[in-house]
Amino acid sequence: MSQKVLVVDDSPTLVKFVTFSLKSNGYEVVGASDGMDALEKVSNIEGAVDLVITDLNMPNIDGYELIATLRKTPRFAKTPIIILSSEEEEEDKVKGQKVGADSYLVKPFKSSVLIEEVTRLLKK
Amino acid sequence: MDTRVITVKPQPAKSMQEELRELASTLSDIVRGIRTAQEPIIESQQKVPQATEQLERITRQTEDATHRVLDMVEHITARESEIESLLKDLKRALPATYFRNNSKAKAVIERIRECAGQNQSAAYDIMDALQFQDITSQQIDHAITLLEQVQSRLQSVLMELAGGTQEEIPAEKRRERAYDPNAHFSTENDKDKQFSVDELVDNLSRQMKKD
Repeated sequence: MSQKVLVVDDSPTLVKFVTFSLKSNGYEVVGASDGMDALEKVSNIEGAVDLVITDLNMPNIDGYELIATLRKTPRFAKTPIIILSSEEEEEDKVKGQKVGADSYLVKPFKSSVLIEEVTRLLKK
Repeated sequence: MDTRVITVKPQPAKSMQEELRELASTLSDIVRGIRTAQEPIIESQQKVPQATEQLERITRQTEDATHRVLDMVEHITARESEIESLLKDLKRALPATYFRNNSKAKAVIERIRECAGQNQSAAYDIMDALQFQDITSQQIDHAITLLEQVQSRLQSVLMELAGGTQEEIPAEKRRERAYDPNAHFSTENDKDKQFSVDELVDNLSRQMKKD
């Protein structure tokens, strides 16, 4: 059975791009348009979500709040989380790490780099 | 008793009238000035929504076009995978001795496989480059927000000039935007950029474990 990845970004282009990259590599993808949508989708997903990929700047619930909320639930306590953001400031990376993200990719990124990171985190 | 007679020379009525006329003329100039100042402000304020609408249209159109290209790239990669799979089927369908006796056919098949692989790789490069749409839409959102701020300031000026009679644009007309104002599209030094992030994350993880 393929592993399930939750992709959260308010840019439909980014969700489509990441979804295609992941599906081409055999992953199952659930897309969400912001943090609130992600929490709603997660509550309706049966079974495990193996990895979460999220943007930071999003309306309603941003990436930091989403990660912090997910980390509070036992279901997502150890799920690998990757942040995708165009914010290059060290401050953002530190903040992301502190709320519980495992990795941080700066946009734009190569799909091969994303796949390497997903594979590495899922192997851990 | 000493009586002094002070004679006050009466101001001519004409001079008073003149002063009043001058005052009225000055007031009229001020009102005209305010009106003249209001006109370009009103015009500019009315043009801001047009500009934001235009920018939003650009975002929608580039998004649609990008999605169409992404769909095409998806189909191309699927067909390239199919070509590779068909070549394997062809090799299996032919007798094992066929390629031993026909080195030209073997070379052609190898070349087709090579081309399919190169096309696949180029398709992924196109897909990576299409991220420009996400980055430019963030830059456009930033520009729209700046325009909305200008509109809001112009509105304040107009309200001051019109003594609060100017109608305010309701806030709900503006959609919430989340963007990075410093977003920029560059694929240069991707590896270096990622390395520094990885290094930072590793250092922090080590530090957090120590704590």
